[in-house]
Amino acid sequence: MSFAARMDARAAFLVLLMALVAMAGTSLLIGAGEVSPSRAFAVLWGSADSEAHFVVWELRGPRTLIGIAVGVALGISGALLQAVARNPLAEPGLLGVSAGAAFAVALALVLGASAATLRIGVAQLGALVGCICVLGVVRMRGVGDDPVRLVLAGAAFSGLLGSLSALLLLYDQRAADEIRFWVVGGLAGRRLSDLVAVLPSLLVAGGVIALIARPLAALALGERVATGLGHHPAVIRWLVVLCVAVLVGAATAMAGPIAFVGLVVPFVARAIAGPDIRRTLWFCLPIGPLMILAADIVSRVVVAPSELPLGVLTALCGAPVLIAVVRAKRLPML
Amino acid sequence: MKTTTYPLSRETSMHELGDRVIAPDGYWRLGWRRRGQAYSVLLEQRAVMVGGGLMLALLAAGLAYLSLGSTLLAPSEAVLALFGRGEMMATFMVQELRLPRLTAACLTGAAFALAGILMQTLARNRLATPGIIGIDNGATAFAVASIVGMGVSIAPPAMALAGATTAAVLTFGLAAGSGTHGYRFIVAGIGVGAVFGAITQLLLARVAIDAANAAYPWTVGTLNARASGAMQLLTVGLTLGVIAALALARSLALLRFKDATASGLGIVVKVRRFQVLMLSVVLTALAVAVAGPVGMVGLIGPEIARALSSSRGVPVISSALAGALVMVLADLAGRTLLAPIEIPVGIVTAVLGGPWLLWILMRANRSSP
Repeated sequence: MSFAARMDARAAFLVLLMALVAMAGTSLLIGAGEVSPSRAFAVLWGSADSEAHFVVWELRGPRTLIGIAVGVALGISGALLQAVARNPLAEPGLLGVSAGAAFAVALALVLGASAATLRIGVAQLGALVGCICVLGVVRMRGVGDDPVRLVLAGAAFSGLLGSLSALLLLYDQRAADEIRFWVVGGLAGRRLSDLVAVLPSLLVAGGVIALIARPLAALALGERVATGLGHHPAVIRWLVVLCVAVLVGAATAMAGPIAFVGLVVPFVARAIAGPDIRRTLWFCLPIGPLMILAADIVSRVVVAPSELPLGVLTALCGAPVLIAVVRAKRLPML
Repeated sequence: MKTTTYPLSRETSMHELGDRVIAPDGYWRLGWRRRGQAYSVLLEQRAVMVGGGLMLALLAAGLAYLSLGSTLLAPSEAVLALFGRGEMMATFMVQELRLPRLTAACLTGAAFALAGILMQTLARNRLATPGIIGIDNGATAFAVASIVGMGVSIAPPAMALAGATTAAVLTFGLAAGSGTHGYRFIVAGIGVGAVFGAITQLLLARVAIDAANAAYPWTVGTLNARASGAMQLLTVGLTLGVIAALALARSLALLRFKDATASGLGIVVKVRRFQVLMLSVVLTALAVAVAGPVGMVGLIGPEIARALSSSRGVPVISSALAGALVMVLADLAGRTLLAPIEIPVGIVTAVLGGPWLLWILMRANRSSP
């Protein structure tokens, strides 16, 4: 890559980072309730307004942090899943991985579990099962077949899991309110402890991704090339699947199933950074949180004083991207 | 009657010798005379038998539907009550509670399945049912808008029709670049459906939590909250729809071929396609206005009909009957399995239809292109 192009990519990355900081600030300032942006702004400069202080640091602050974590996790897992499925439409939310995690949590709640850490483990397990099911269908698909078919399989799978979750919701009125949250998704009412509980697994997954990014880029050149370069394609794939499950499970445990983020974020990242998976992953880091935070801010403002489910907004942004990708004359192969 | 000389081939002469013709293998011939002119209809034996069998199964399922529930009735009691000869309580229960719901199940099931097979034929893809390509969601979004009273005072059926049409236009318009068949078309439909699903959620989020809770089962598809006006419209619409589908049956069989072949065989493809599309959209909208989006019936009904029928024609009537049967059985299961909790019929069919859809997808990969 030429020096100029590299500078461009760095500049774009910096711009995205600054946009993210600005977005996080906006997320602290704007929201439902009685605390106006100017009062919130005053709090940031150390004003002693106790009510505003509570709203900004106890409600909006954790929410913003969790939004950032969810955005990172979903964006990265989308890029990884697309790389390993070699399909630009592979997306955890659309393919039922998130729905698997949400269903697992709902099932655990009905069976009587309520501890937060258990919930995360269960969500990650559900995401793993969902991931394996979806990739099983990909494998069945054979080589060189229509990549779009995967989305249909995913829609069938997540429709099934969504219905089963709805069934649980009807079955157990006691847990219904809690389950409804997992079925719909959103950031309202999340606490910092939720983030702290998933942080270790996120860090482990991040470390593993840092290690396998290079072999994964080699895998994009084809299985033989990767083997020739001394990598083990099967091992890489399994590690990627595990990482995706951990990330999606953690994101779902924090915010419920949110579709289309894993589609849109890598799509934008590739548009800026080009096809190399390592650069795509780097660019997913700021773009994912940007999308989640923007959607979350809109969800707080549009129907104030009540709130929209976050998944609604991501669907409204993501579905047009899906259609655009599908309409493209030649689907970009990964 | 004019006399003609026929070529000596045995088959042609058998087909065209006026009254005394014998039907070809596998067909029954119904012939009659009117004003000296001979008319005849060929009935495919297998189609008649499949239709009759499905009808019998539907009657049996209907009887079970009337008998089972929170209060069990013996089948004989249910039949007596149906004709107003039973006990007061039983008569009330059957005639006022269970029979209207059974009717609704039959009609919506038939309408969904009929819409399904029409759309499948149109798109030349067995997975392209209105439920999957987002038309159900469009109808639901608009109907919910009228129900939760977003300043619109038009009746749900009209709104559902507007929504279904919008979704159909969007799906077909957006997929135009990739043709009306193939998986891209379906995925474009999934995208459109996702947008309308999100709009439904958005509408529900804006109303009070009670209204949203009340509308929740309706958005997954249930026979619990049927609007009476919608039922009457559906009855009329389905009757007309079946007639129209029968009239279109020959064209439907030809629409399965390539456009050039179909127009070579004598149909104006564009006109026919538009008619079939509109019929499918109207049926979907009317059914959604009654029962909400129970889209999977549109997939399962035609699948059953095709599996039972021979592959010669498009099994329109059998599909409608199979759809009604599926709907009745699914709602019966939803009412009784977890009683006293009632499972919305949309969830029952989704739980049944999801694995079925996956199975079709995985099997289709090996054989078809």
